[in-house]
Amino acid sequence: MKSSSLKRHRISLFAFCTTIAFFYAPLLVLILFSFNESKTMNWSRFSLRWYADLFMHSRDLWEAFCNSAFIAATSASVSTLLGTLAAIGMYWYNFKFKKYVQVASFLPLIIPEIIIGVSLLIMFGVMGLKLGLFTVFVAHTTFCLPYALLIVSSRLDEFDYAVVEAAYDLGASEIQTLLRVIVPVSMPGIIAAFLVSVTLSLEDFVITFFVAGPGSSTLPLHVYSMIRFGVSPVINALSFVLIVGSVLLAFSTKGLYKYILQK
Amino acid sequence: MKKQVAIILCFMIAVFLSCSNSGKQKLFIYNWTYYMPDDVLRDFEKRFNVEIVYDVYPSNEDMFAKLKSGASGYDIVVPSQDYVSIMIKENMLSPLDISKIPNFKNIDTAVLARITFDKGNKFSVPYMMGGSGIAVNKTRVAKYEKSWNIFNRADLKNRMTMLDDMREVLGAALRSLGYSVNSTNPQELDKAKQVVLGWKANLCKFDAEAFAKGFAAGEFWVVQGYAENVMREYDSTKTSEIEFFIPKEGGTAYIDNLVVLKDAKHKDLAYSFINYIHDPKVYAKIIDYLRYPCINVEAKKFTTKKSNYELSDIANSELKNDIGESLELYNKIWQEIRVGR
Repeated sequence: MKSSSLKRHRISLFAFCTTIAFFYAPLLVLILFSFNESKTMNWSRFSLRWYADLFMHSRDLWEAFCNSAFIAATSASVSTLLGTLAAIGMYWYNFKFKKYVQVASFLPLIIPEIIIGVSLLIMFGVMGLKLGLFTVFVAHTTFCLPYALLIVSSRLDEFDYAVVEAAYDLGASEIQTLLRVIVPVSMPGIIAAFLVSVTLSLEDFVITFFVAGPGSSTLPLHVYSMIRFGVSPVINALSFVLIVGSVLLAFSTKGLYKYILQK
Repeated sequence: MKKQVAIILCFMIAVFLSCSNSGKQKLFIYNWTYYMPDDVLRDFEKRFNVEIVYDVYPSNEDMFAKLKSGASGYDIVVPSQDYVSIMIKENMLSPLDISKIPNFKNIDTAVLARITFDKGNKFSVPYMMGGSGIAVNKTRVAKYEKSWNIFNRADLKNRMTMLDDMREVLGAALRSLGYSVNSTNPQELDKAKQVVLGWKANLCKFDAEAFAKGFAAGEFWVVQGYAENVMREYDSTKTSEIEFFIPKEGGTAYIDNLVVLKDAKHKDLAYSFINYIHDPKVYAKIIDYLRYPCINVEAKKFTTKKSNYELSDIANSELKNDIGESLELYNKIWQEIRVGR
């Protein structure tokens, strides 16, 4: 008995280690080569020249990064706000075609990105909007919205409606019930929706490609335009800086994740 | 919980502050990737107290599609010769007043004489002139002739690549037969096709993206390409191992041009920028960065590095022009070459 359980333990440990290696091996290679003197894939010697390049001569890269961060923060905030309100609306009120509205709101999740991109481009053209940061913001809010809605709704679905009724019974007004009961209860969902939206926005290429205009290149677009001429190790350096940044951010907000998972 | 939110907020504010814009006048430039050194742009900003908004594109087609799909607001773009003529036809360019660009006089008249796509430079000012050629790894290939015929060598089978670009490959074949790279004559094109099929038997692949990495890693020994692409990937301490040459028959050449768009909002600033680029000292700095042949006569005095090749090397090369409706014939032939019929 004992030995078989130990064996099982070993197998799962092995699986765990392979998974971790699978995840982190590419990142380690990337980090290693960001310190390589040579720009080829042959190791020559340790050097910080790509970091010097990154911080001294790559303003366009940083601008693209700033655009990405700006768009991610704003579109995630707005789509989380709208998605939360929509989810609460659908949870709280009963109306005739609720089921159909629910299904329709999730449709954008399965529509290919390229169709969303083209349709947004056509719409902006019809409206006469100039392509730029604003159109990218609108597009990102649009495609993050269904995810935010889905996440907050699923949180609310687990919630006992009797608590809302109890709040009414105890004399709470609608606004009070919203702010004191529903929002605190769905908070983990709201935060998760925000984080997912940030991630989706940061990595999106296809839709952004269609709706970007002057001065609104995001990081993925910028890297794409570099690929044709060979990605320079400056990108490796930037990736390492971003990895360090997100690790620091993740650790400093560790409580937040605990909060999402436990509540 | 509150503390965590505060940390995230602080982080966001820090990002925004570092990205915030100044109220300065802005110049919107849309240029090829890696085509202007950062210092040159920063220096212009300082001199004129303006801000440059700079976006990049990887190909003429990307740039054209973006502008056509409604990205208005750019002042300067840098199309190649064929796209200059297309954009003139499409009425997308603003006519230039050359008297506002005094440094125009520095440009080599031999280069200006070759311009057929915009005779008299009514819409465009040349930025760079270059040509495609062949890069050879000398440690692997000891003896070779500086000719397109190198692709006929069976002993280098699977160690050679050509660009995945029909105009470049057919242009090379046409040129090796002594025809024009802009030929639209079906018989000449058919002969060129046979030549390319002969080359194809020895090629590893047609590739315009990863070949330079493969060349730098020693996987490929002979590649058709642009000097700057190949050199950028190659270890800068070992460049003596390789040679880039333009075949003696000549090949395709291109001129990338600074143009001002019709709906540009900052035309005066755009003039200042074009004039600034052709300032001899500034232009020399760009040449030292790109290692292109120098088309600015005055700038030659200030260059400190050797170009990858000189203007005299591409004397035999020919500019690729817009071939209009014959594009379909080219597409058909290229398709036949790719599927190997």
